[in-house]
Amino acid sequence: MSVAVFPPTEENVLQDPLRFERRVPPCAIVIFGASGDLSKRKLLPSLYRLFFERRISTEFAVIGSSRTPMSDDQFRERMRESVSKFLEDAPFDESVWKSFAQCLFYVPGDLSKPESYDDIRQKLDEVEKSHQTAGNVLFYLSTQPSYYAEAIKALGEHGLTEGNGWRRVIIEKPFGHDLESARKLNIEIHKVLDESAVYRIDHYLGKETVQNILAFRFGNGIFEPLWNRRYISFIQITAAESIGVEGRGGYYQEAGALRDMIQNHLSQVMATVAMEPPSVFDADNVRDERAKLLRSVRVMKPEDVPKYAVAGQYGPAKVGGEDLPGFRQEPSVSPDAQTDTYAAVTFFIDNWRWAGVPIYIRSGKRMPKRVTDIAIQFHAPPLGLFTQQTKTGLREARPNLLVLRIQPEEGISLRFLSKSPGSGMRVRPVSMDFNYGSSFGERSPTAYETLLLDAMNGDPTLYTRQDMVEASWQIVQPILDVWAHTKFDFPNYPAGSWGPKASDEMLARQGHVWRIP
Amino acid sequence: MSGAAIYPAHPENILKGLGKLWTSLGQEESHQGKPTVMRACAMTLIVATDEPDCGFYASQTISELMREHPSRGIVLAIDKAAENSLEARVLAQCWKPFGKAQQICCEQIEILSSPDHWPNVGPTLVGLTVADLPVIFWCRHKGALKTSATEQQSEGLEVILDLSSKVIIDTGGEDTASSFALISRLRREGRVLADLEWARLTFWREPFAQIFDNSARTNHLSDFHTIEIFHTDERVTPLAAYAAGWFASVSKANITVSSTKGFGPGLHAIRMVSEGETITFERTGTECARFSSSTGRQRSYSYAEPSLFSLLHQELSILGEDRAFNAAFARAGEFVR
Repeated sequence: MSVAVFPPTEENVLQDPLRFERRVPPCAIVIFGASGDLSKRKLLPSLYRLFFERRISTEFAVIGSSRTPMSDDQFRERMRESVSKFLEDAPFDESVWKSFAQCLFYVPGDLSKPESYDDIRQKLDEVEKSHQTAGNVLFYLSTQPSYYAEAIKALGEHGLTEGNGWRRVIIEKPFGHDLESARKLNIEIHKVLDESAVYRIDHYLGKETVQNILAFRFGNGIFEPLWNRRYISFIQITAAESIGVEGRGGYYQEAGALRDMIQNHLSQVMATVAMEPPSVFDADNVRDERAKLLRSVRVMKPEDVPKYAVAGQYGPAKVGGEDLPGFRQEPSVSPDAQTDTYAAVTFFIDNWRWAGVPIYIRSGKRMPKRVTDIAIQFHAPPLGLFTQQTKTGLREARPNLLVLRIQPEEGISLRFLSKSPGSGMRVRPVSMDFNYGSSFGERSPTAYETLLLDAMNGDPTLYTRQDMVEASWQIVQPILDVWAHTKFDFPNYPAGSWGPKASDEMLARQGHVWRIP
Repeated sequence: MSGAAIYPAHPENILKGLGKLWTSLGQEESHQGKPTVMRACAMTLIVATDEPDCGFYASQTISELMREHPSRGIVLAIDKAAENSLEARVLAQCWKPFGKAQQICCEQIEILSSPDHWPNVGPTLVGLTVADLPVIFWCRHKGALKTSATEQQSEGLEVILDLSSKVIIDTGGEDTASSFALISRLRREGRVLADLEWARLTFWREPFAQIFDNSARTNHLSDFHTIEIFHTDERVTPLAAYAAGWFASVSKANITVSSTKGFGPGLHAIRMVSEGETITFERTGTECARFSSSTGRQRSYSYAEPSLFSLLHQELSILGEDRAFNAAFARAGEFVR
């Protein structure tokens, strides 16, 4: 366990926070698994973009490491191809790349071999001098999850978790494959690192619109008084993907939608939507509130699982003239796989604010479209004065709906009733819309840009803490246990649909329906 | 752009015109019964100009700014050839985000005034500002800003200044001494003032601030005993004076400002010298700049002459006092020769 002590530093009088971008201290980033997809598609493009925007210190270096033998120059060339290909919504500048490339280094190595860590340490010593990185090091574990514990242990054994500056480790999800393995992993990590040095990344929390939920709730005085069981009828969180498993059938077969999406991303989104206001907006207070919320989620009894959780798996279908395979027809997937490619769960939060308010979460692959949003349905007015003319006749006016859109059209809309022009009191729903992209014309940083900057700055607010991970496993574990012993009659929804009927029935039992996002 | 009927410049007429415009936009754009136009406004942005293009350039710039800073834009053009004394037209600047059905629109009012009616514009503008939101005044009326301004010009200017919560001017290309005299006067009158020339300096200031974030350096700013600022103009420009003023406000180094041949216009290089290290940030081409240290480290940056859009974007993002600017301006005058 290391605690770095720095000499007191005077304020940098040249800073101008009104005009300059957020400050990032000098540091080196070591990426384990540097030849993998995540590095190529997300990490290096994000780092280049931050460099291009001058948000990274001039004193900076990246050391990539993986088993693939490569020289520094070969690594730079590979990364150049990846960055120019995967850079999102931003220009690729050759002269800036040349400067950036000078900060890239490569150390071939195998995480299971001690000499690899010695090589990393030697390179870190070199760049600390040549690139003046002040001894600050951020390790990024972008490897197979089964290597996490071993790699962190080895970092400790080789003295890499201590040095002249701070040492931090970013760990990609999944953090364990169930509650027990998550706990074991945390124990192993804490033998080497203090929790404050551990950054468990959940890229959903880095999305601008997920962060905006906090600004929306706690920066405005008008919504928070309504944010409770007295005014809110239910909440729906949807994360739908139109694609299938895209060559990741082998991995996905073992994971499933509940593990892959709900246990981590969507439970964190739920915590963000439902948490209490922190007393101070800092990492510890925000994460305390998120963890507290997750601990308040009612843990299902095994007999309740069929009532409150639905598993689904897509079957083959023809969509837009194209024949889409079912999950069991995907490459590397067993023809009798019991994997949930769709999961819907009803959660209840047992605290004063949310008692009795169902929170429906669903996530699935091969849905009609890619969309992630949170819909907050308010109660109808106590007395229905207005009715609406619909195709099927008159009905009571629909109550207010607040939709927080995460992707692809990031924004917020509030539906309310308005009088239709003309004589007579006819009402119709209208939408008050805030569109993130159009209200702020600037390009939003990608989730990885935000999260990498935060880690370099030592701000773990958007990272997941040990207790949050364990609490989120706790709430899905009973479902996983029951499903593990259930033989499902899969497939139960065709590709291109909104999921199995059982999911609609789950809501119907509460008198609700899924909205179509 | 949607618009535009011409009205006598009475606020009541103009506001009615805006109302009609929104109604017609809503009707034009309604799609399957759903409203597809959204009105966006975060401020009133007044631009006064005496340029010969009757405000065309100013109009174009504020329409570009609408996405980042949705506003009620009011372009007030002074034109000797204006047939009517004071007339206005209203239009909407709209854009449709990619792949979306809904248009987002901001309203714009263009007022054309003959020079002799310029003092009468005040009452019109008072009725046109959006309630409860800041009023930003971007003054491109060079004549009214000069010490040689006529009484009529000064009178017209004063009315708009009094309406404004922030005033933006641009001293780029102007005489430094008289520009600074103007700024001093406006500041004495209690105006919140911004100069786009100061915003041009951000590109140069930020890398220096960044390297002193390194804790190994932060405590050693005072080791740099000399700071040299090189510009490509014959005389010290406001930009060079601001650069010197900024360094003088935060450091006790000996600061020099000198002219050199190099990539311009504007600054060519800034150099900081200590006993052990020399740090240089310089233009190395028309589209690139380089940061280098005598210790061997260097880094390239892409360089683009900041557009008016980017400068205004910077200024419109700061609605209160700019302490760094105030401190730099307080010292900048020492370097004007």
